[in-house]
Amino acid sequence: MNINTVSIFLQTIVGGIGIGSLYALVALGYSMQYRSMGLVNFAQGSIYMIGTYFGIIWYQGMVMGLQVPYPIAFLIGIVLNMGLGLILERIFRPLANLDLMLMLLGTIGLGYVLDNMAIITWGAEGFAVKSPLPNTPIIIGGVALLPQMLLLIGVSAILMVGLTVFLSKAKIGKAMRAAASDRETASAMGIPVNTTNAVSFAIGCGLAAAAGILAAPIVYVNPAMGGPVGLKGFAAFILGGAGSIPGAIVGGLVFGVLEAVSAGFVSSAYTKGIAFVVMVVVLMFRPGGIVGEVTVDKV
Amino acid sequence: MKNPSIIIKGVWVAIGTLALVAFPLVAPNRYVVHIVNMAGLYILLSLGLNLAMGYCGQINLALGAFWGVGAYTAALLNTHFGVPIWVNLPIGMVFAGVVGALIALPMLKVRSHYLALVTIGLAETINIILVNETWLTQGPLGISGIQMPTLFGIAIDGDERFYYLILTCVLIGFLVARQIVRHRIGRSFIAIRDDEVAAKAMGVNAAYYQILANSIAGVYCGAAGVLYAHLNTYISPDIFEFKSALYVLTMTLVGGMGSLAGSFVGGLGLPITQELLRGIGNWELVGYGIAIMLVVLFFPGGVIGITRRLQESSGIRWPWARKPTVEPSQLEEPNVSGP
Amino acid sequence: MFLDLEHLTMRFGGVVAVNDVTLSIGRGEIHGLIGPNGSGKTTIFNVVSGYYKPTSGKISFEGAQISGLPAHQITGRGFARTFQNLRLFKSMTVLDNVLVGMERHTKTSLWRAMLDPVATQREDKLLTEKAMSLLNLFGIAEFAHARATSLPYGNQRRVEMARALATDPKIVLLDEPASGLNETETDALRETLLKIRDSGVTIFIVEHDMKLVKSVCDSITVLDYGKKIAEGCYADVSRDQVVIEAYLGKEEDL
Repeated sequence: MNINTVSIFLQTIVGGIGIGSLYALVALGYSMQYRSMGLVNFAQGSIYMIGTYFGIIWYQGMVMGLQVPYPIAFLIGIVLNMGLGLILERIFRPLANLDLMLMLLGTIGLGYVLDNMAIITWGAEGFAVKSPLPNTPIIIGGVALLPQMLLLIGVSAILMVGLTVFLSKAKIGKAMRAAASDRETASAMGIPVNTTNAVSFAIGCGLAAAAGILAAPIVYVNPAMGGPVGLKGFAAFILGGAGSIPGAIVGGLVFGVLEAVSAGFVSSAYTKGIAFVVMVVVLMFRPGGIVGEVTVDKV
Repeated sequence: MKNPSIIIKGVWVAIGTLALVAFPLVAPNRYVVHIVNMAGLYILLSLGLNLAMGYCGQINLALGAFWGVGAYTAALLNTHFGVPIWVNLPIGMVFAGVVGALIALPMLKVRSHYLALVTIGLAETINIILVNETWLTQGPLGISGIQMPTLFGIAIDGDERFYYLILTCVLIGFLVARQIVRHRIGRSFIAIRDDEVAAKAMGVNAAYYQILANSIAGVYCGAAGVLYAHLNTYISPDIFEFKSALYVLTMTLVGGMGSLAGSFVGGLGLPITQELLRGIGNWELVGYGIAIMLVVLFFPGGVIGITRRLQESSGIRWPWARKPTVEPSQLEEPNVSGP
Repeated sequence: MFLDLEHLTMRFGGVVAVNDVTLSIGRGEIHGLIGPNGSGKTTIFNVVSGYYKPTSGKISFEGAQISGLPAHQITGRGFARTFQNLRLFKSMTVLDNVLVGMERHTKTSLWRAMLDPVATQREDKLLTEKAMSLLNLFGIAEFAHARATSLPYGNQRRVEMARALATDPKIVLLDEPASGLNETETDALRETLLKIRDSGVTIFIVEHDMKLVKSVCDSITVLDYGKKIAEGCYADVSRDQVVIEAYLGKEEDL
């Protein structure tokens, strides 16, 4: 291996971590909702798309011509999407801990609604978003990195650490963990389970918005952008171990790196396929995901 | 005849048969017949899904892949070797059935949402093969020039004539499915769906039946695929994607999962409703999404669930309804003489 | 002997649920398995009926080793069981629940069912008759067409036992059949157990109701913390100092 291949390899890995951070944030959204409500939300991709618009429209001056700076647009997007999350939690409350098929169908229905509302509101055509950071790559040790990619990785890392700390230290975070592990006991102990569920759902939506707004300058923003990301976020969520917070992060990064490496070194045509094949194989050997516990069927 | 209910039943069957046979003759135009033909294919797909998922509890989102296997088998055999539909149909069904059985193997190890993901992964993989192995499948361009069938010298060359072929296949598919459901195989499927552990304790070979269920789903989808290829004379990978599986899943759930009639209601109802709403644009899809959410939140048994509930509350028996199960509230208090 | 467990051990991670248990059951007897909660009784049932592979030790039935076989094959050798927390097929009628138990005795293949509906119907009729006579034995024939899970608790227990017997077993494993039953129901259960035994089916029973155990069991094994601490007839076991201490320590009475 000469120095050139090494740097290409490193660059691929960093790219994979970047996309993987995106998947991880979306997977964390699935995880938060799954832990609290036992709900697998297949509309997560659409929520990610809506969240992206909620932030980017301010940055792009699409709201009354206002030109809002990127960091503020970022925060507005997150807050708006969390608000959407609170509404959605109320709608889907009856689906909590139900049959997977019903959740699948109900949230697919939601996906249709969100996707088409986005088309009606913002048009089917997408647009490119200019990065708030310079577009010239920064070169570190022969590896060229886009500043926006570094921003995506950095902010994602902060959000992941922040979420972990929030869940283990903050009062409501602890209550959420308690409610996630045993709903009945938690509500008997006076934890307002409906509130903690709503907060979990909102956080999941907020993370999706954050992911979308951070990735917007790298990807192309359009109403169909949610589908593939939602699917891969779901894959990351399952691959890590459904409901596990570190699992979602590990799953997202593994999936992103896997995809980048297979695109760069095997065949770009089979990128998606290889990632999925690896995933199926992993699940065969660890049916509970990478981080998840292997549960014994209770007889 | 002594029994009036037999006469009533006979009248229903006669009206039904007449309506089914006459449909293409009275349909306003060819496009309407085409929509109904497609609905017929969806019914076949939905019957397959219903047997595997509604009866045996096997979550399967790889349906589009089975469908694609049937369609590509027919397309390739026909365009390269001129094999007619009559030969392609059994071959496509067997191929898709084998793929169904193979996909079932990993399904034995993983459960629930993990299973959903595995089936998505397998479906995506098959789709990627269809897109990328251009030497075989011509990739995204698809395969065109598939012949429409002839039977005893009569060319089945338009939607009107193809309608009768699809009608026959749907009827056979339904009768076979009904026989499976009423047979002990159906009973074992339901036992596995309800409680796999208890089913095994009763000596039910759960792994065997789970593979069988997925294989049967494959056979149904394979048949639909072969018919689709010969009906449209052109196929491309995009209609066999994951989202097609979701579409079939949606119609089955809206119709009624775990009920064969549900497959007919959903398979006919959804494509036709969508056609009727066409032109309203995206609002139509918003309404469609809201309708799905309403079904899930308020009528989880689908349309068939609603009719059943109506039937129980009003006491009306639909002509096609089977004997209802007796709820114990209608019975006297149990005696305590037994153990 | 008929059923032999030799040095059976079952570990879950670091927890030893069953620790080096050896026991034998003779043909045609009612063998009780008792012990405080969490002593590993249900785990033994789950290992014997094939849900868990034992960590070590072996199980033989009629002289042939059966440990490690999948659950449905063990049922095929002539085992049947009920569950501590009822596991009826929830969307089925009482009759259908019992018919599933007969699955391994049905012969018509799917092909036959499609090509020869008459023969299938004949077989169905025969099976239904057999199932009804089982339901009669348990006094629940009148509920044959009711949804099984809509019956009162005591009757659900009866359905489970009827379903287990429908497999035509040589030995049936009953996991706390008297739990949740009132006194009259328990008395009736006693009669049924003896009837089943007299029809030639061996019974292996986990039970907390000591009155019932005392009156039906021919021999008893006592477990504590996964270990066998005593065995023998009820009179011997109930006088055993170790057994009394095990129960007293758990504040339960024998």
